[in-house]
Amino acid sequence: MALQTRATTIPNRPQPPRRLIKFLFSALGNRYFLYTLSVVMFLAFWDLAAVKKVLGNFLPRPIEVLSQLLSLNTEPLASKTLFEHLWASIHRVLIGWAIGVSIAVPLGIFMGLNPYVRAIVKPVFDLLKPMPPISWISLSILWFGLGEESKVFIIAIGSFVPCILNSYNGIRLIDPALYDAARMMGANRRQEIIEVGFFASAPAIFAGLQISLSIAWSCVLAAELVGSRSGMGFIIILGMNQSSPALIIAGMVVIAITACLISVLMDRLEKMVCPWKRELPQ
Amino acid sequence: MKNAQVKIEFRNVSKTFIQKETQKVHVLNNINLSVYENEFLVILGPGQSGKTTLLRIVGGLESPTTGEVALDGREITAPGPDRSMVFQTYSLFPWRTVLGNVEAGLRFKGMAKQQRRQIAKKYIELVGLNGFETAFPHQLSGGMKQRVGIARAYANKPVVLLLDEPFGQLDAQTRMLMEKEIIRIWEEEKGTVVFVTNNIDEAIYLGDRIVILEGKLPGRISGEYKVNLPRPREHTDIEFLKLRKKIFNSTELIL
Repeated sequence: MALQTRATTIPNRPQPPRRLIKFLFSALGNRYFLYTLSVVMFLAFWDLAAVKKVLGNFLPRPIEVLSQLLSLNTEPLASKTLFEHLWASIHRVLIGWAIGVSIAVPLGIFMGLNPYVRAIVKPVFDLLKPMPPISWISLSILWFGLGEESKVFIIAIGSFVPCILNSYNGIRLIDPALYDAARMMGANRRQEIIEVGFFASAPAIFAGLQISLSIAWSCVLAAELVGSRSGMGFIIILGMNQSSPALIIAGMVVIAITACLISVLMDRLEKMVCPWKRELPQ
Repeated sequence: MKNAQVKIEFRNVSKTFIQKETQKVHVLNNINLSVYENEFLVILGPGQSGKTTLLRIVGGLESPTTGEVALDGREITAPGPDRSMVFQTYSLFPWRTVLGNVEAGLRFKGMAKQQRRQIAKKYIELVGLNGFETAFPHQLSGGMKQRVGIARAYANKPVVLLLDEPFGQLDAQTRMLMEKEIIRIWEEEKGTVVFVTNNIDEAIYLGDRIVILEGKLPGRISGEYKVNLPRPREHTDIEFLKLRKKIFNSTELIL
């Protein structure tokens, strides 16, 4: 009561310091403000490190990277613009991924469904599985030369492994009670496989496609680092050969943005293709 | 149930599972049992008494090691559209909507879309889920999921309805509500029901007759009780409690 009367009797004069603190606190509670702050501080530290030459002459300022990015659009490198290089990489990824996936998914499904296919494929697959796809680069160049084929081969190998694993496990880990339910409702073997096998494993298979696409994207860069005249990997190697860190970082930024877009796109696609929630067996 | 026609008959049914190639698990021992037409039979037994296996044999999902089970005089060898099952874990298809789940059996039969929609809608209404036709199972509560399970089972127009601890995963209140519901639906749809549970109250509330499976494998029938109480039954009715005490004292059910 006493407080209230005082508040009404004393004119409500602005109190700058307190208001500033209040504003700061409300700003700190705002997620987007913190996000912006985080990015701005990162760029500021980067800029400071570049200006103070913490890493010698090989750390460009953020603004230099940005101008490099912009000039890449207009001044072609090795007679290709940035967009054409990006497309060269994406093109390889799509072909390699499509090949890898179109072999891996059916093979994984058959491994899950048929014990004989599993017994024949699994031991060899288990041997090949732990080999990093990039370790195939030398062999692939010896077999297919420096052209497109060797890059596509690496990407296909990289996409193959997570895809076959997810398809196989997707089928294998289906709750047997779902098969029981289908059989009790009068499904024959074919209907069982289509209704339960296909749908129940779809989210896992889709997850496999997603993982393999992101692995394919890192494989293409590795493949392009060795003997290539186009692609994002080539831009990075060119940056190294020209001692131009701005070019390297510009390439890295484009690669990261592309990878980000791919995963967002795949997430959207998954929600469209599998609108239900995945239920694992208990 | 005098003079009632025998619907399902178990003759000397035993079941042994073989685990890890050498280890044998004897689950059911010499079961002889008749289930009569339009009867609500409850099989009451503790966990590990083989009651689910008994039900799965009727469903045709398992086959007996020795003996046989006959439905209308014909030996059961495989699942068929004359029997429907409601599962403890619901086992709804998560990729199908409520409507899609209820009409799944009719779709397997190859029934035309229009016709199966109509039948599915009728049963969705019967279980009280109108308005939820387009919901996916993960959007439903446990009780609602099991309503879908019941609608799905009835939509196939089975001769025998098999329920495997259908309310085991529900909370006590929802469970009692669903017990009331299953009686309401059964009185509307009729038919023979075999209901498996480990809950004495549920057994007395629902059953025309209660068959006790003794605990510890292998399960064998150790008692049978007729429940001659009028429906709807009251859990606190004196006759209800008397029967409850009788069953409780005479069995080794650890509930």
